[in-house]
Amino acid sequence: MAATEQTGSRSSTERTGPGRLLYDATVRAIFLQALTAALVVGLFAWLIYNTMVNLQERNLSAGFGFLDVSAGFGISFTLIPYEEGDTYLRVFFVGIANTLLVAAVSIALATIIGLFVGLARLSDNWIVAKLSRAYIELLRNTPLLLQIIAWFFGVFNLLPRPRDSVVMAEAFVLNNRGFYMPAPVPELGFGYVMAAFVVALLGAIALYRWEDARRDRTGKSFPAISTGLAMIVLVPLVVHLALGRPLSWDPPVLQGFNFVGGVSVPPAFCALIVALSAYTSAFIAEIVRSGIQSVSKGQLEAAGALNLPPTWTLRRVILPQALRVIIPPLISQYLNITKNSSLAIAIGFPDLVSVWMNTSLNQSGRAIPIVAMTMAFYCLVSLTVSLVMNSYNRRVQIKER
Amino acid sequence: MSRVEGARKAIEIVKLNKWFGQFHVLKDIDLTVREREIYVICGPSGSGKSTLIRCINQLEHHQEGDILVDGVLVEKGGKNQETIRRTTGMVFQQFNLFPHLTVLENCTLTPTLGLGMPRAEAEELAMFHLKRVGIEDQALKYPLQLSGGQQQRVAIARSLCTRPKIMLFDEPTSALDPEMIKEVLDVMVELADSGMTMICVTHEMGFARQVADKILFMDQGEIVESGPPGEFFLNPRYDRTEQFLSHIL
Amino acid sequence: MALVFESKPDRPPPRDETGLAVWVRRNLFRDVPNALMTLLGFYIAYVVVAAVLDWAIFNAVWEADTRRECLDAVGRSGACWPGVVEWLPNLVYGLYPKDAVWRINLGFLALVLWLIPLWMPRVKSKVAVGLTAVTLYPFLASYFFLGGDKGIVWSALISLGLSGLVWVWATTISERVTGQSIAELLGKTLAGGDNDVLQRRAVRGAGLVLFLAAYGLVSTWSLAEVRTQFWGGLFLTLVISGIGITFSLPAGILLALGRRSNLPVIAVLSTLFIELFRSVPLITILFMFNTMLPLFMPEGMEVNQLARAIVAVCLFAAAYMAEVIRGGLQAIPKGQYEAAASLGLGYWQTTTQVVLPQALKIMIPTIVGNFIGLFKDTTLVSIIGLFDLMNMARAVGEDTDWLGLFIEPFFVVSLTYFVFCFAMSSYSIRLEEKLSAGRER
Ligand SMILES: Nc1ncnc2c1ncn2[C@@H]1O[C@H](COP(=O)(O)OP(=O)(O)OP(=O)(O)O)[C@@H](O)[C@H]1O
Ligand SMILES: [Mg+2]
Repeated sequence: MAATEQTGSRSSTERTGPGRLLYDATVRAIFLQALTAALVVGLFAWLIYNTMVNLQERNLSAGFGFLDVSAGFGISFTLIPYEEGDTYLRVFFVGIANTLLVAAVSIALATIIGLFVGLARLSDNWIVAKLSRAYIELLRNTPLLLQIIAWFFGVFNLLPRPRDSVVMAEAFVLNNRGFYMPAPVPELGFGYVMAAFVVALLGAIALYRWEDARRDRTGKSFPAISTGLAMIVLVPLVVHLALGRPLSWDPPVLQGFNFVGGVSVPPAFCALIVALSAYTSAFIAEIVRSGIQSVSKGQLEAAGALNLPPTWTLRRVILPQALRVIIPPLISQYLNITKNSSLAIAIGFPDLVSVWMNTSLNQSGRAIPIVAMTMAFYCLVSLTVSLVMNSYNRRVQIKER
Repeated sequence: MSRVEGARKAIEIVKLNKWFGQFHVLKDIDLTVREREIYVICGPSGSGKSTLIRCINQLEHHQEGDILVDGVLVEKGGKNQETIRRTTGMVFQQFNLFPHLTVLENCTLTPTLGLGMPRAEAEELAMFHLKRVGIEDQALKYPLQLSGGQQQRVAIARSLCTRPKIMLFDEPTSALDPEMIKEVLDVMVELADSGMTMICVTHEMGFARQVADKILFMDQGEIVESGPPGEFFLNPRYDRTEQFLSHIL
Repeated sequence: MALVFESKPDRPPPRDETGLAVWVRRNLFRDVPNALMTLLGFYIAYVVVAAVLDWAIFNAVWEADTRRECLDAVGRSGACWPGVVEWLPNLVYGLYPKDAVWRINLGFLALVLWLIPLWMPRVKSKVAVGLTAVTLYPFLASYFFLGGDKGIVWSALISLGLSGLVWVWATTISERVTGQSIAELLGKTLAGGDNDVLQRRAVRGAGLVLFLAAYGLVSTWSLAEVRTQFWGGLFLTLVISGIGITFSLPAGILLALGRRSNLPVIAVLSTLFIELFRSVPLITILFMFNTMLPLFMPEGMEVNQLARAIVAVCLFAAAYMAEVIRGGLQAIPKGQYEAAASLGLGYWQTTTQVVLPQALKIMIPTIVGNFIGLFKDTTLVSIIGLFDLMNMARAVGEDTDWLGLFIEPFFVVSLTYFVFCFAMSSYSIRLEEKLSAGRER
């Protein structure tokens, strides 16, 4: 009896015990939940009450009315146009755009480096494998914030003044004011080059599909991928040359104490990008390595015994299985990059947290709406990504019994 | 005398030696298998059975001695392994089916991508062999949706789709439940009857008695004893063989 | 009579199969591209190592009073260590009064003493030792670190901590010498062979005496208060991450169980909490607690900044830990629950006796990975103005004598973090190998 009485609420509903027992378990479940709910509601009520009292005391409001008020401060780097007189709402979007820019650039770099290092880690060349291991361990085991600050104060801030800039290929300039590169200036006819690129891209995709279908029909094959890549590069290039190079570059030039022209990013941006992509690439490398290692030796032996050509073994046996293992953690690394870009605040790069949760909050004092909007942004990103990931997982799940 | 007297040599192995690091796995192996012959290899665990047949299709590379497969000399270090593997098929203990491809796709993979066969023809070939092993109605399922016995039969069909002349089996039934063993052995018997050259590492002595031309007993990297089933079971020449047989029979 | 099988003697492999030369050829110079990569690899390794050694040792300045002197001597080609040496006490202890630093050392010494038995063979009560380290040690340490006016309750808690330490060593020694726990030993010697009730009473009495003695001792202690504003450096980093780690595991377990509970209210609340805290960056949570906690609290109630940071770190860590543990719980096959139910175990018994031990075991590497992440994440408290190890390192370069001295302290601090994190991760990999070996057998 004592033993059955301790049976959890879940199983007791299925059991044929005395009615009182069932009743007890249900009552207990309801009581526990009601208690929890009451505690949580109570806590929130208390917090809200305190907040209201405090806000009244300090003559603050919790509304969103301030959003269309002019913010009145400048932002050192903006991706979307912004002027000092623009509204707080505009500041919010400037912050989001900057955050997304940092995330996108870092994601691209981290993926490329991570893929490279992850493959190097699997190399049967001893020194290559050891070097990539050292790279991974060093970066993974030190704090990201420390790396960001070290890159900023230790490297990008110590660069020479504009006069003594490091100049690469006469067009890329690095100094303590930032990184400058030529800006592309499309001229009349560049539209055709872009169009040629799009056409070549579509053509390459069509070629790939056609090759697939033709192989199915006749069994013959030819290197569609390399042909397609060549097409994508060559066709626009030919058009570009034929039209007399309708794209000129506006290079940065030294005028007085600073460079003008071209595109430029501040040192903080450089430090943030370098640190974020290096740090995350170490994690991505490990993900790539474990994904490839997750394809068992037996699979490779079977492909070998069947005499499947190596390129097809890679494309049809290794990659499909490895990607299943790689993609979910890879996406969550991308999410981490987005969240970690908020460390920009430590070196004064105006990302969402820095420009919104810090500057705007201090200036307007509207802590509650500002914190809520920031969190809502990050939640929205996470939610979107997890929806995408769930549907991916469902699609590639290996069918089992 | 042997039922294949005078047939061509499908596999000829002379003085084969192999090491894993310092460990001497195969010692002076000599073996000749003629076309349409069925060889069964048995022996205690770790005696080098798998290593021997994996040397034949170059999943392992040997260091000394010569292997000729269908008259072609295997070059050291796997330089001509593609040529060799074109004539051999292999069935593994753990099936090694590709879990992300359907049964049909498993079977048509090499014919379409390696042998340059049109898909329709490859599918026809696959269905032929799937029917032969008795699972044509599972063709669109994924391997992990099938039972172990069914998976192993798919593996056999997949291998047959590459049109091998010689089939190598590495303990094809030892990962299976007893009732599934029979369905796989039936397929192997049918294959043997159809004239396939086969080397099977197995401890299914009923199968050996029924179809084997010769049984080899290996221990510590050597072929201790080889002979037709009758002789092998009734009067083994070596004490070691007797001992082993008394364990498994 | 059967022939006797004699196996041929093993031969060594052909000469070109073994030895260093073969290894080098296989792993470094298999073909031309491979050889080129090898040369490039060794070149990179040489350049990096040589540059670091040159800078950190061969060209470094070891004696100077200001950064200027360093720069005049070697410019930027060598490290300027005197600045770091001068700041070393601050890097380790923050601005903790110099004459009170022994309290920090003593506090950590107590922790080491507490944990040593966990690595000693023949100690049976390891679980109890670990549990007391987590539950009782903090009281003891809190007084060493904070000091000030104790009051009765805090005194009692500190005495509990002290008694805990005494008990740990008493039972360790007793178990190693006699094979019995201290309670068994005491019961038998004080109350004689076989009277259970008497024995238990004797043990309780001994415990009470111990506690009272500890209380007496503690009430003679009077340590001056060191306010948390003065805490900093490695000490602060260890305090924050220590509390975070200690809190996150139990809280994470509860949240994970809550999320899987079939009581809808609890499941929804746990899920909301976990998902919210996991989808926003830690820095926003720190900011939120830093700026909004004063708004949330009743008027006049002050929460000091360190406490705000710790609360934020703890909640954040708990949410991450909850997901790790949920992963472990999901990996437990349904059969285990069914087996437990068929033995008549209830929810809590099933959870604590059957499910959790297995789930925690398979997740050990991930849990340790999470601890490492938390340890690294504590650097974020510098952004809201606490002087943890990293922020202290940055402060070196703002000292007028050492203006601009950033790289050297960052180098030392990075190395410190690396040693801690690498040690943790290596340990967890070793543990994983040991455990997975156990599974295979
Ligand atoms: N890749 C390898 N590296 C090192 N040693 C190996 C390797 N593969 C096999 N061995 C060793 O070689 C010996 C022979 O292995 P093999 O797999 O051929 O034995 P087997 O007769 O097939 O045994 P089983 O019945 O267990 O399959 C074993 O001692 C094994 O440990
Ligand atoms: Mg074997």
